[in-house]
Formats: sequence, C-alpha cells, structure tokens
Amino acid sequence: MVELAELTAGLDRQARRRARLRESAVSFAMMGPAVLLYTVMTVVPVGVAVYLSLTDWDGFSAAAFIGLDNYKHLFDDPSSSEAWYVTALIATAGTVLMVGLGLVYALALKGRSRANSFFRAVAYFPHVISALILGYLWAAILGTNGAINNTLAKFGIEPLGFLFDEQFALISLIGVIVWAGFGFNVVLFVAALQTVPAELLEAAAIDGASKRQINLRIVIPMIAPVVTVATVLNLVGLIRAYDIVVSLTGGGPAGSTQTFTYLILARSFEGTKVGYATAQAVFLMVVSAVLALVVTALRNRQDQAATGS
Amino acid sequence: MVVLEAKVHDRPQAAPAKGGKAPGTERGEPRSPGRWVLLGVLFVIMIVPVYLLVVNAFKSQQDILDNPFSIPLSGLTFEHMSAAVSSPQFNVIDGYGFTLFLVVLVDVLCILLAGPAAYAIARSLKRRTQLVLLYFLAGTFIPGAAVIIPVIYVLREIGLANTVTGLVAHDVASTLPVSIFLFVGFIRTIPVDIDHAATIDGAGRFRTFWAIIFPLMRPAVVTVLILNSIGIWNDFVSPQILLSPSSGHYTVTTAVYAGISQYSTDLTKVFPNLLLAIAPVVIFFIYMQRHIISGLTVGAVKG
Repeated sequence: MVELAELTAGLDRQARRRARLRESAVSFAMMGPAVLLYTVMTVVPVGVAVYLSLTDWDGFSAAAFIGLDNYKHLFDDPSSSEAWYVTALIATAGTVLMVGLGLVYALALKGRSRANSFFRAVAYFPHVISALILGYLWAAILGTNGAINNTLAKFGIEPLGFLFDEQFALISLIGVIVWAGFGFNVVLFVAALQTVPAELLEAAAIDGASKRQINLRIVIPMIAPVVTVATVLNLVGLIRAYDIVVSLTGGGPAGSTQTFTYLILARSFEGTKVGYATAQAVFLMVVSAVLALVVTALRNRQDQAATGS
Repeated sequence: MVVLEAKVHDRPQAAPAKGGKAPGTERGEPRSPGRWVLLGVLFVIMIVPVYLLVVNAFKSQQDILDNPFSIPLSGLTFEHMSAAVSSPQFNVIDGYGFTLFLVVLVDVLCILLAGPAAYAIARSLKRRTQLVLLYFLAGTFIPGAAVIIPVIYVLREIGLANTVTGLVAHDVASTLPVSIFLFVGFIRTIPVDIDHAATIDGAGRFRTFWAIIFPLMRPAVVTVLILNSIGIWNDFVSPQILLSPSSGHYTVTTAVYAGISQYSTDLTKVFPNLLLAIAPVVIFFIYMQRHIISGLTVGAVKG
C-alpha cells in the first residue's frame, strides 16, 4: 500500500499523491484483465446485437439501417407470436408447478433426518445434469418408439402422442421441465423452513392449531420472501428455455413447442433475417432484465428485513 | 447479503446440535401414510427414467423395444456399451477429455481474473470502483443463448472465430459476473486488519491477496468452482455454436447432439451414449452432494 516510512518522514503532499497514484495503478492492474475480457466478450456482443437489431441484415449482404422497424414487427408474424405464447405458457405454468411442488415436498422433507436428505437428493439430482441430455432421455421414454408407448402397445393400446400431438407435446415439455427443476425449489424452501423457530410451531400446536393451519397460516407466510425469489428465478430461467426444447421435441411437431430462444437461434442460422432475430434477442434481454431487476429489488427488501429483525 | 450467506454456511454445523428436535419431524410426519405416498410417488417418478437408462444401455434393440422395463437376465449384453466406448464417431469418452480440459482451464482463468478484481472492488471505498461491480452485475441479466450470435462476430473480428481459445474466452467472461459478486461478498466479511498487518510486514497488494486473503476464501472458492464446473460441463449452446464441427472438438453435450441427430432410432446407441454422458456428473453429485447443493443454491439465489 503506502510506504509507512514516507508517510512518517514528511507527509508532504507530493509523496502522498504519488502513493495514491500507485494505489490506483495497482487497483487497475487487479481489475483490468477481468474488466477487459468481460467487456470484449459480453458487453460488446450486446452492443453488436443492439446495432444489428436496427438493420435489415440477412447475414450476407450489406446491412441497411432501418431504425425501429424490426421492433414494430416483433409480434406480426405468426411463428413469433406462437413462440411468445409457448414461452409465456412454459414460464408461467412451469413456475406455478415448480413452486407448488417445491413447497409440498419441502414441507414433507424439512426435517433433518437421513431419509429426508436422501429424498431431497432424489428430487434434486436432475438439476446437475445437462438439460440437453435429460431431454434426449425423456424423448426415448415418451417418443413413438419410447418405453411407455412400446409397453402400451403390448396391451394393444394405441400409442399416446406425448411428443407428436401438438398440444400434448407442449404439456410433455412442461412436465419434463418441472421434473428436472422443482427439486431446486425443494432445497431452497427447506433451507428457509429450517430457520422458522420451532417454539412458534409448538406454541401454535398447543393453542390447538391443526397441521394444515400451522403450515398455511404460519410457516408459508414466514418463508414468503424466499418463495417470491424462487418464483422470479424460475420465471427468468424458463423464459430462456432452449436446450431441453432442442433435445425433447426439436421445436415440433409443426413448431408447436418452439420457444423464443429456439426461434431466435433457428432464424439466425437460416441466415435470412438476422437483423429481425437479434431484435427479438434484444427484446428477450430486456424482458429478463426487468424480471431480474424485480428479483434484486425483492432480495434487497428481504435482506433489510433479515438485518432489521 | 452477508446475513444470508452466513446462514447458508453455518447450517450444516448447527444441524447435529438441533437434530430431530423440530416438532414437525417428531410428531405426526413419519407416521402419516400420506407422507409416504407422497415420497413413494417422488421416488418412482424421479428414479424410473434413470432405471430405464441404465437397464436399456445393456439390452439389444429388440429387447428394448419389446420389454423396455424388464431386465432380461439372459439377454443383457455389454456389446453396445463397449461399442459406444470405442466408437470412432462422436465418442462421448473423448468428449470427457475435451470437456474436462475446458472446465479446468475456465475454472483456473476465472479464479485468476475474478479473485484480484473482487479483492480490489471489496477493499475500495471509491464510488468509481462500486460502479465496476455494478457493471459486472449487469452481466447476470444477459440471456447467454439469445446473444450468442453477436459473439461470433466479435470473435471473427479479433481472429478467434472457431477456435478453442475463443470458446474459452467466452466461457471465462460468462463466469465472471457471478464469481466476482460472490467473492466480493465474501471478502467483505474478512477483517481489513489482516490486510494492514500484511502491509506492515511489507507485502504488496497482489501478494497480500494471493498469500493471505485467498486462502481464507475457501468456502467462496468452492462455491464458485462447483457453480462454474457444472455450468461449463453441461453447456451446450456455446460449444455448439462457437466451435463448428470442422474444428473436430466435441464436448460431451455436442458429441451426444451430433450423434443422436444421426442415429436417433437406433436405441442401442442412444441409451449407452446417454448413460456415458450422465454417469460422471451423477457420480460427482453423489460424492459431493452437500457441497454441490449448497454451492448451486447460493450461486443461483445471490448471482
């Protein structure tokens, strides 16, 4: 830091300024490499995306600046509005189910026994596996030639269209997403439940409250802030769903399970509407930024509440 | 932030002291049949897919199609598994090597860059430095997959398109925001007096960080390593799009993707390859369960 000898010797202004300069230089050397790499690989691409979104670039010829035209037509074409519907449905239905199941199983598994921690791990494990691989596994189970339909066929039952009926495919996709993701909420909620003071629950039980009353009136309200954070985390994660769509349904049948990110990447590779696709990417970024800001605000409030008590 | 972190880290130690004292666990719960139905359903739904994966990886195509759920004791075969292990194309085992190389390289570079940066941010009282933290935090709002296309153009400009270096640069950059955020939060809980003592003993700031502060950051470093390793290992979009097939490099996920696009109906290839792809992560999870769960939870909630 600052040479102590110099300080005690004179304390003259020049030496102090030199010390401060060296201090800044060291700080700069410490932060510089990280800032540089992050700027070039993350911030600049976002800038490029914003620029491309204002052009009609097709991936080959020269790009012409067309202002906000791409944004005006964000919902015009049928496949984009379909993708928005699919993404919104996955995000909302998926979040509701994941949070709901998370709460149910967290209440059942909150105790600190070995059995409970085993079941928590059972619920959690898909979270560490690549969504792409999980999608392929489920495709091998739910597909036309999958384990379930082949078993049904032995009993003479017609194959079910888990993945080839348009509406059923979307339900299957949401089901697999929930299967893979709700365990994360279980763990999150259990951590919160274990901080609820036992005396409180004992007092309520002595006053004659039933188990259900205790859970609904005391326990869940007490962990409400964590439930809110989990809700927004799930929403932010699900509006970006991509890998699992690629492997489970490939966006099909007939585009009925194309999410927004899937559409953006598919279009960018067709190479015809890159400008338009980046406008959608920028829009998606704004939506997830708004949701992420909400989570930050909620978290800050929660932290303040925690320090206040 | 600090409060939340302290709780998450303290809990495992606090657990044995309180063990089983919560009223809910002793009364009612273990005896209620509803609970066991709930847990039974959970177990079946979560484990059956894994069971199918393991069993069918060792069966013939005919057995998989006829009796997917059964274990034909006489018909089990290692033939397809060994074929997958030695397959010349889209080999998942080869994918392990390249993916592990990526994971280690990204982990090391991330720590080398994020550590000192977080230290400088955490120990500075200047407004300017706090803006740097906000600048990094903004990165957590960016949906990586959706803006991967512009990354290609940037890599092309700096001559790193379609190279492993380019992929590593992108991956390291993508790990920086959350890593720096977690490190800053942790370093702020370490008393500044320790730094002052090191300064008086004549250590420079880099030396103070690497020799004194960094060893104290172990819990945060473990969290960051787990978070980044699992993230990079499972990543599909970045390697798929930033490394074209002509590069000849396949990660576990891109190898499975390339393979299954070709042989999707041959279940004797699908199941063994999927099992090979899942096995390392699941084994890692079983051994490091508690660290992984707490690491990923802290990372997601705070990052």
